[in-house]
Amino acid sequence: MGTPARIERGILVFSIWAALGFLGLGFVLEGFTRNAIALSLLGTAIIMAALGAHIVVNAIFQQGFTTGEATLGAAAYGAMVLVFIVAWLSGGLSSANYLSGIALFGILAIGFIAYLTTRYGLRDAFSRFHPHETSSKETAR
Amino acid sequence: MTGVAAQIWLPLSLLFYTAVALYWARIAARENRDYETYFSAAHSLSSWIVAMLMAGASVSCWFLLGGSAEIGQHGFSAPALLQAGIALALPGTIFFKRMWFVCQRLRLSSQAELFRSYYQSDFLVVVSTVIAILFAIAFAGLQMRALSHIISTLTGGEASPLVVSMVLSLVMFGYVAIGGMRAVAYLGVFQTVLLCAAMVGFAGYALIDLGGFGALNSRLLALASDPNGAPLFSVSGVIHFTAGLGRADASGSPDTAMMGFGLTLAFMGFQASPLASKIVLSANNARGFAAGQTWVMAGVFGGLIVFGIAIMGAAMLVEPGLSVPNIFMTLEKVSPWFMAWLLIGAIAGVQLVSALALLVAGESLVRNVYKPYFHATLSRRDTVNLTRVVVGILALASVLMQSLTPIALSALGSVVLPMSFQLWAPLLGVTWLRWITRPAAATGVAFGLAGVILTEPLGYEILSFFGLELPWGRWPWTIHSAAWGMAANLVVVLIISAITNREAFGEEAQEVRRFLQSALRVSGRAQALRSVAWAAILIWLFLAVGPGVEFGNFAFGVPGAGRGWILGMPSLWAWSALFWVLGVGLLWFLAYKLEMASPVTAVIDAYEPRPRLHLNQGQRERERLRALVITGAVGFGLAVLIAFSFGR
Repeated sequence: MGTPARIERGILVFSIWAALGFLGLGFVLEGFTRNAIALSLLGTAIIMAALGAHIVVNAIFQQGFTTGEATLGAAAYGAMVLVFIVAWLSGGLSSANYLSGIALFGILAIGFIAYLTTRYGLRDAFSRFHPHETSSKETAR
Repeated sequence: MTGVAAQIWLPLSLLFYTAVALYWARIAARENRDYETYFSAAHSLSSWIVAMLMAGASVSCWFLLGGSAEIGQHGFSAPALLQAGIALALPGTIFFKRMWFVCQRLRLSSQAELFRSYYQSDFLVVVSTVIAILFAIAFAGLQMRALSHIISTLTGGEASPLVVSMVLSLVMFGYVAIGGMRAVAYLGVFQTVLLCAAMVGFAGYALIDLGGFGALNSRLLALASDPNGAPLFSVSGVIHFTAGLGRADASGSPDTAMMGFGLTLAFMGFQASPLASKIVLSANNARGFAAGQTWVMAGVFGGLIVFGIAIMGAAMLVEPGLSVPNIFMTLEKVSPWFMAWLLIGAIAGVQLVSALALLVAGESLVRNVYKPYFHATLSRRDTVNLTRVVVGILALASVLMQSLTPIALSALGSVVLPMSFQLWAPLLGVTWLRWITRPAAATGVAFGLAGVILTEPLGYEILSFFGLELPWGRWPWTIHSAAWGMAANLVVVLIISAITNREAFGEEAQEVRRFLQSALRVSGRAQALRSVAWAAILIWLFLAVGPGVEFGNFAFGVPGAGRGWILGMPSLWAWSALFWVLGVGLLWFLAYKLEMASPVTAVIDAYEPRPRLHLNQGQRERERLRALVITGAVGFGLAVLIAFSFGR
């Protein structure tokens, strides 16, 4: 992908996450603050919509997630899961918040797996997580 | 929500926004490579970026802050405000495609250069520059002032409006100086999306707070059934022959159909401005203008105005606590993250138009006025650096005026759009009406500007300073200054074009005429539709924003005696929504069927003018500078003398 296309894709990705991602995060936080599972689910749905829009942009520009995006996404996901687990272990979570968290992380995980599966197929999706070693048979071929 | 959370989210969001702005400025600077592409992004912006940037800059934060407050104060008595999406998109549909082709042929990159090449008029160059400066200092400054006051209140007064305004301007100056037009464009898309999101967010919050669309309309119906509230839901006649606002004999509501018509004309000023021209001339092709103007500007943004802004205004009408500043205050306490999210949208809307205006004003002053008249040997690198300095000075001037001279800022800000609308005549001369001659275009604009200034507080204040008293106030006969200016402009253009030589144009103008005739010849099918188009435009103008808007007072029911509105919403609101839909259809018809903005792909070779002898300009430049200083000193002296003798 050429530089102008890469920049245009970047502008779109930034716009999507600034508008939808932050709104979704706001709703999730609002749901946690008010113990309102409906608000948290709405936030989760908006975050999923942002993820969907990001994937659509990727498809338009015929590209997957960049390394930076994947790293940032995984780090943010990991940090949120960590905070959630710590809060759960310390007993600071209500049942509504517990369910909200499970829904958020579960849906994000399922969504990501579904994306990999549809993009690369079941076997190749699994292969994305470990370095592919070229066998001696393949080398010989 | 705790106060700590409220204190964290505001600076955190501002920090995030600043980081994003500087990140994209860096990318833009790297793309620019050197100073050669600072002003126009190497004319390489994609169609969709141009469409988004144009729509965002046209709407800016004016509708969010000013438009909603206008409806909240005057109700639906000025329905022309709701047709702004169409009014803003119409000039672009008419001008952009041809302007882009002409400038591509002559290798021009700004409106001032276009006027210099086509009309060879120094006056039009200066007018274009002055309008760009007014946009940068006054128009954007007014929005920045309103926003900085809101942010200052949100910080509990810990940051004064002046400090807030300076910080926001510094961020803006940073990305304009670093990345030039490319940074303005890249960040502009991001800012446009955030602005849209904020408009939807505010409208959504207002609806949720009031209990939904039905509940909002129930309260509007109760207000309309009250004799005191009823005038808020109707246009008060076609015209009132009053002396204007601020005059003792002015009586009745100024919200007449003619006032709405004039307001629509003022909206049409933005896309005739040098700011819009800059965006158009930075595009890498002319294929996106039709879609951008029809679907993005008129469709999406027109819809946001006719529903989103109208909902915000209507909510303010029934519940004054739902004004934009009040919503910020409430959200700061209950949901600081939403407050921060909406605030970033508002900041984005202001900075979008402000950054563009600063860049264009800086370029116009340095590249189109200073360099050609006073320093022809200025290198490209020095031109860019000097522009950066001028951008900084203009930003500082705007910040200081916001704080020190808000009344002067308001007076200047109110004339920008009507003044810009006066550029319609010279732009029509370049693109469509070949019979508009050079003296006619320049003199018409001069009379148009005089018409605008003399029917606004600015003219009143200037003349009052010299001891002269105008017999009328603001907007006499309830006709907006944009309409007064255009009336004067049009009369002068018609008369002078009729009595001056229509062939007395320079080489470039002759080439433009030949080029438009050959490259953009309108097809026979489109020519056959011209009469239909004229009829459709006139009918739409008459019914949507002209005298016919009075039908909207009762077309969808008049409340009273247990009766409601037929569609459950105020009749004028429904009327406006209907004509917004028809307006989008009209623009589609003009853009595509009449081929005014339809996509055209053509390779355009640069026009090679005949070689000219370049004389040493040094002596003439020094003489010009001396003349300027002497004229300025004499003018200043005379002004002081007159003010001292007759002024108040």
